[in-house]
Amino acid sequence: MGVIGYGLAVIGAGIGIGLAAFGASQGIARQPEVQGRLFTVFILGCAFVEALGLIGFVTALIVR
Amino acid sequence: MMEALDRLPDQINEMISDFVAPAMFGNDYFGFTQYIFWMLIAIAILLIVLFAAKKRQSLVPHGRFVNGVEALVEFARNDIVYGVIGHKTGDKHMPFILTVFFFVLINNLVGLIPGCRPGTGTIGVTFAVALCSFVYFIALSIKIMGVGGYIKSLAPKGIALPIALLVAVIEAFSVILRLVTLAIRLFANMFAGHIAMGAFALMVSVMMGAAFQVVTAASFGAALAPIAIMLILILIYAIEMLVAFIQAYVFAVLSAVYIQLAEGEE
Repeated sequence: MGVIGYGLAVIGAGIGIGLAAFGASQGIARQPEVQGRLFTVFILGCAFVEALGLIGFVTALIVR
Repeated sequence: MMEALDRLPDQINEMISDFVAPAMFGNDYFGFTQYIFWMLIAIAILLIVLFAAKKRQSLVPHGRFVNGVEALVEFARNDIVYGVIGHKTGDKHMPFILTVFFFVLINNLVGLIPGCRPGTGTIGVTFAVALCSFVYFIALSIKIMGVGGYIKSLAPKGIALPIALLVAVIEAFSVILRLVTLAIRLFANMFAGHIAMGAFALMVSVMMGAAFQVVTAASFGAALAPIAIMLILILIYAIEMLVAFIQAYVFAVLSAVYIQLAEGEE
């Protein structure tokens, strides 16, 4: 069950990172000169999203 | 081959329990674990590298080694410190943020050497580093605004008292959550990455062993699957190298963002 739960948790994180990458690439395409700052923001956003996915992973391992 | 694969979940569980192995000496709450051992080694490596670079430093840097270290330091300074905090107060906070960045980076990288463990792969170490950063930015806000001013700043000005109280409680909770997520993010990334690598490595060894129990022409065909998995393993290793760097970067950037928030609240 934990494995299925982790798969479900990852759906959310996947959508989140996808949206972040979408926004970042679109922003860079429209305004290439802000690439550096957008990249930082993108990595930060990914980090926040990823933390949630990883909490799911850790709980799946700990709670059996 | 199938019965070899049946043993795989047990072996993976064994590997995971090895990851949380008990302390070498001392008890589980205050002891010397393998992670602390590798953390000390990572710190030693970091000190040797930095002091060697400092000794060879000259006005015009020569050689790959000095240039590499200087490029890393400059990247951290320009990208993380000046990029997030700004030039005005950035220099004041640069030592702290660079210390955090290099500590996390070297620990992540040492963990990638086969047989070694990342010092950041245990919640104790990451929580300690996160606590340093937490205390740093809380102390900074209190230094700027005073204790009363800091508590007042948790709620926005100009709203009725009951709602302000509620907002302050939620805000305080989110500040504490910063500490928890800083610690968990780094720990979980390292832990999960190493478990994924270990699981794939186990799969390769189990399937390879099963294929070559009796060496026939067919066993070379059966070896194709583990070789494909090994290629995935190499890919995961490459991604883990990227993750080691990105997590150090994220940790330092988030610390810098929190410090910048504290600076900006004056």
